Amino acid sequence: MVGINMVTNMDAKHKAINQPVALSSAQTQTLIDIRKVTKSYFSGGIETQVLFGIDLLVPQGDFLAVMGQSGSGKSTLMNIFGCLDQATSGTYRLNGVDTLTLSRSELATIRNRTIGFVFQSFNLIKRMSVAENVALPLIYAGVSRDKAYKKALVELERVGLKEYAKRLPNQLSGGQQQRVAIARALVADPPLILADEPTGNLDTQTSVEIMRSLQQLNAERGITILLVTHEPDIAAYSKRLVRLKDGHVLYDGPAVEGLQQLAQSHEAHAQAAPASSYMPQDQSGD
Amino acid sequence: MNFLQVFIEAFRSMNANRLRTSLTMLGIIIGITSVVMMLAVGESAKKFISKELEVLGSNLMIVSPGANRTQGVRARTGTAPSLSVDDALALNELTSLNGAAPALQGFFQIAVGNDNTNSAVLGITPEMFKVRNWKVDQGNCFSDSDIRGAARMVVIGKKLAEQFFYKTNPIGQFVRIDNVPFQVVGVLQGEGRMFDGGDLGEMVLIPITTARATLMRSPFPSNVHYVVVQAKDDKSLKDADQDIKDMLRDRHHIKSEQEDDFRIDNLASIAETGAKISAGLAAMLGAIGAISLIVGGIGIMNIMLVSVTERTREIGIRMAIGAKPRDVLLQFLTEAVVICLVGGVFGILLASAGAAAITSTGKLDVEIGFGAMLVACGFASFVGIFFGFYPARRASLLLPVDCLRYE
Repeated sequence: MVGINMVTNMDAKHKAINQPVALSSAQTQTLIDIRKVTKSYFSGGIETQVLFGIDLLVPQGDFLAVMGQSGSGKSTLMNIFGCLDQATSGTYRLNGVDTLTLSRSELATIRNRTIGFVFQSFNLIKRMSVAENVALPLIYAGVSRDKAYKKALVELERVGLKEYAKRLPNQLSGGQQQRVAIARALVADPPLILADEPTGNLDTQTSVEIMRSLQQLNAERGITILLVTHEPDIAAYSKRLVRLKDGHVLYDGPAVEGLQQLAQSHEAHAQAAPASSYMPQDQSGD
Repeated sequence: MNFLQVFIEAFRSMNANRLRTSLTMLGIIIGITSVVMMLAVGESAKKFISKELEVLGSNLMIVSPGANRTQGVRARTGTAPSLSVDDALALNELTSLNGAAPALQGFFQIAVGNDNTNSAVLGITPEMFKVRNWKVDQGNCFSDSDIRGAARMVVIGKKLAEQFFYKTNPIGQFVRIDNVPFQVVGVLQGEGRMFDGGDLGEMVLIPITTARATLMRSPFPSNVHYVVVQAKDDKSLKDADQDIKDMLRDRHHIKSEQEDDFRIDNLASIAETGAKISAGLAAMLGAIGAISLIVGGIGIMNIMLVSVTERTREIGIRMAIGAKPRDVLLQFLTEAVVICLVGGVFGILLASAGAAAITSTGKLDVEIGFGAMLVACGFASFVGIFFGFYPARRASLLLPVDCLRYE
């Protein structure tokens, strides 16, 4: 297994460097430009490195799935993508802006204008109505209440939940809440949506609906989507796949091939060690 | 993010924890109530005292004769016949004084027809009207010639005039004082308690000469019961006191080792005592207010810290979707201030109820002015900002990534 990883790792590096160049040479613009990004946490004087020099270029309009088992660094990478966390070293240019030099306040503005977040646990504010939740990014952007609510209703209509505008989030089903979260992510018209395990708390049927709507956003509105998941079924909706392992990029390439490779390695893994069926389900992402 | 939105959210989150919010508010309510009451009581007492002083006459001092000593037993102050009309005339010339008015006082039956009452009768000179700021409503006061001629004339208080003459004009009518008829020449303006406990509205004033000739005969034909003197202003009270002392000691040939045979009472000092008492009351209310505001503020700080912890995830969500640290700070600060302001409004209402209760006893008119309300709101906001800042700052310093991970 180690041997396979080594090969794919080198393969991935090769691709990671070449592929974005090919993409950005056309009309498409680079939205995310991450180079040599590392991340370490310090706790009690002990340094734990989570990311080891990640390079990644994401052009506008891409639909990228990031896979990896827990501890692979995918959440950390996602937080860096989302400007929720700062890299320890390296550079991260988002939409042409070097984010590592920005203040917390400026990062908030970047998140507000450039990134729409969709979380696993929906993360709607319980005390606020659905419409207020959706309008909140615009409120923080300084848009007047009236305008923000009008725009919120437009986005709610798009996700088919306009009639639920006045309800509280917990009066909605999980799928509906996630659609509200998508409406909130879209309300400020950001070029990028970060979806962190968006279907993790949903049943299969609802998961399919959510993934289709993300796919639709990508296809119809050209919104770049960054998806974090450990489920190959969910990753299959993306165009491009990045697999992480222990803080390194293991694979970066078309989703279809990547998933095939993953399935093969899984099979090989299963044959080599049939007893590994007790492994947690999370392993499937590896 | 605009202020309206911030306020709406502050009210909403207060509303979400109504019991907790109201308990937190209690300290502020008590504190603001005390502060408002302090201001109102202080202000009202000041007004009351200045009104009282107006009735008493301002910057007044009472010079009374000393005590009579009979075989070593000291009698009541004022029993010695040591103060004379001439003393009063001499005092009148002092430059530190506006005037000195001698008075004889007695208690007599006053009658009109079948109606009668008992009242203090003062034998005075026109000087008395001047120093005590008395005004005559109808008719006139006595003239100097009335004094010289010991005219049987009387100026009566308003209440007495109403009692005896009802709605008819009292001027020119007669009242009998100890069965001696006196013609009413004037009615005194105003009513209210005076320093000697009498009521201005029930005054009976006659010329001092008449008093001595008819009602208050004495083996000492020139003695007076007291002399009311008025200092030039409140600053010259001390000088006046010394001047009077020097003059009377000199006139009475008192040797330096001997004690005074008279006594000087300062009316302003009586009022001052009243002012001190009300200032004490106000200070006590102020102390209660300050302590409750501090304790209440600490309570708010505590609750805000709890609230920040409870809402860590919400803070993370808000930061993720674009809330700047400043927005988060403002949100929690506004919440603390709103709790305090609402507490302040309740405090003002409670203080109004308290003021109404005090006023209804009739002893003191307590009014809560606009200024007191403003001060209360200012205090409440200050407490909110002061004690809300630390929790709000803590919230604003949280990292979004940590908040979103928080369960």
